[in-house]
Amino acid sequence: MAGLGRLILWRIALRANLLQATWNFERQQGVGWVYALQPAIEALYRDPVERRARLAEHTAYFNTQPTLASLALGAVARLEEQRAAGAGPDAAGMARVKAALGSTLAALGDRLFWFSLRPFAAVLGVLVALARPETAWGAVTLWLCYSVVHMGVRFAGVEWGYRGGPAVLGGRLRTYMEAAVTVLAYAGCIVLGVAVAWSLAPGGAPRPIAVQSALACGLGLGLLSAQRARPSPTQWALGIGALVLAASWLQRF
Amino acid sequence: MIERVAMTAMLGGLAALDATPVAQTLLSQPLVTSTLLGWLWGDWATAMSVGVVLQILAAGTLPVGARTPEDYAMGGVVGAGVALVLAPVGVLQPWREAAQLVGVLAGLVAATAGVPLLRWQRRRNEGLARWCEAQLLAGDERAPAVANLAGAVHSFGVGVAYCAVWIVAAGLLLRQPVEAESLRLSSAWTLAQPLWLGFGLAQLLSAFVQRRLTRAGVFAAAMVGAWLTLVMGTP
Repeated sequence: MAGLGRLILWRIALRANLLQATWNFERQQGVGWVYALQPAIEALYRDPVERRARLAEHTAYFNTQPTLASLALGAVARLEEQRAAGAGPDAAGMARVKAALGSTLAALGDRLFWFSLRPFAAVLGVLVALARPETAWGAVTLWLCYSVVHMGVRFAGVEWGYRGGPAVLGGRLRTYMEAAVTVLAYAGCIVLGVAVAWSLAPGGAPRPIAVQSALACGLGLGLLSAQRARPSPTQWALGIGALVLAASWLQRF
Repeated sequence: MIERVAMTAMLGGLAALDATPVAQTLLSQPLVTSTLLGWLWGDWATAMSVGVVLQILAAGTLPVGARTPEDYAMGGVVGAGVALVLAPVGVLQPWREAAQLVGVLAGLVAATAGVPLLRWQRRRNEGLARWCEAQLLAGDERAPAVANLAGAVHSFGVGVAYCAVWIVAAGLLLRQPVEAESLRLSSAWTLAQPLWLGFGLAQLLSAFVQRRLTRAGVFAAAMVGAWLTLVMGTP
C-alpha cells in the first residue's frame, strides 16, 4: 500500500475505540477524532509548528455514527496525505468534507448499527436467554452478534476509507450496507416471532392464561405507544410497574 | 458480601466505559452485565430474570446523534445488583421474585436518573476539549491522549460511584420491606414481567416492521410457525 502504511491505518483504527471518550455537546467527537487521526498527521507533517496547527484544527466539531467513523478517518487521512503534498483541500475545504462525510455516514450508520444490528442482536440474545436461562449463551450471543461486525467494520473501515477517499460510500459498499439493513429487518421479524411464541409457550408448555393475557396486553400497549415519541418506552415501563404495584397493594383491602 | 458489592460497582464502571467512551461493544447491555453478575453472585435465575426484562426495554433506547438516552448501562448493573442484594442465595421463590420486581424498577429509575448525570459529564468534557486545543497550540502533542484518558477515567469513576450508591442504599433500605411484602410483590411480578416483556417486544417489532405489510407477515408467520412447532412438536 502506497502512502500511509498499514501499521498507521491500524493504529488509527485502534485509537478510534476512544472516539467518544470526551464526547461533549460543543465539539461532540472532536477530541476523539484528533486522537485517532494523530498517527497519520505525525507521519505526514515533519514540521512541528505545522503539525500542531493541523492537530488543533482537527479538534473542531465532528460527529457521526461511531462505527462508520472509521471510514471518515481513512478518507480524511487520504486527504491529509494529499494536503501534505500540496494538492489537497485547505482548512475550510477539509471542514466541509468532514461535515459531509459525518452526516452521510451517520445517516447510514444509524440505520445499520443503531436501528438494525443492535436491536437484532438484543432480541437474538434475549431469545437464547429465554430458551437457555441457566447458561451464559444469551449474553455471549448478543455480544458476539454485535461486536464482531462492529469491530470488524471499525478496523477494516479505515483502510476502506483510505482507499476510497471522500467517495468511499459511492460504490458497492453503500449497496451492501443498505442490503444488510433490509436483511436484518426481516431476520429481526423472524426472531421476534419466535421470541413471542416462546414467551407464550416456553419449551412447548403453554403458560397460564393470565400470563398469556398480560403478554398480549403488553404487546398491544407497546404497539400503540410506539406510534408516539412521548412518553418514552422507559417512562411507559415505569408506569406499568407503578400500576401493577398499586394493583397488588389495593388487593389487600 | 462487601467484596461482591465492590465487584458489582466495578462492573458498573466498566459498563459506563463501554456504553459511550470506549469501544461500544455492547458489553454494557443489561443482558451481558446481568449474566456476569449472576456468575459473580452465584444466582443465575435472579440475575437473568431481571436482565432479560431490562434488555428488552433497553433495546429500543438508542444513542442517536446528540441525544442523551436513558442510561441502561447503569440501569442493567443497578437492576441486577439490587435484585441480587435483596435476595440472598437459598431464599424462597416469592422473596426471590419480589427482589426481581424491585430490581427491574430500580434499574428503570437508575437508567432515567442517569440522564442528567451523563449530561453533566458531557458538559465537563467541553472544558477538556478546549483545554486540549489550547495545549496543542502551545506545543503539547500529548494533549489528545491525556484528554481522552481523563474523559474515560471520569466516566469509570462516575459509573462505579453511581452503582455503589444504588446497591448499598437498596441493601440498607429495601431488604426488610421486600422480605415483609414478598408475597404481594411476588404476585405483582407474575403480572408485571409478561407485561414488560410484551411491551418491549412490541417496541422492537414496530422498529423492525416500519409499517411494511410484508415484514408484518413474516413476523406473524414466524410466530405462528414457532408456536405450532413448540406446542404440537415437530412433525
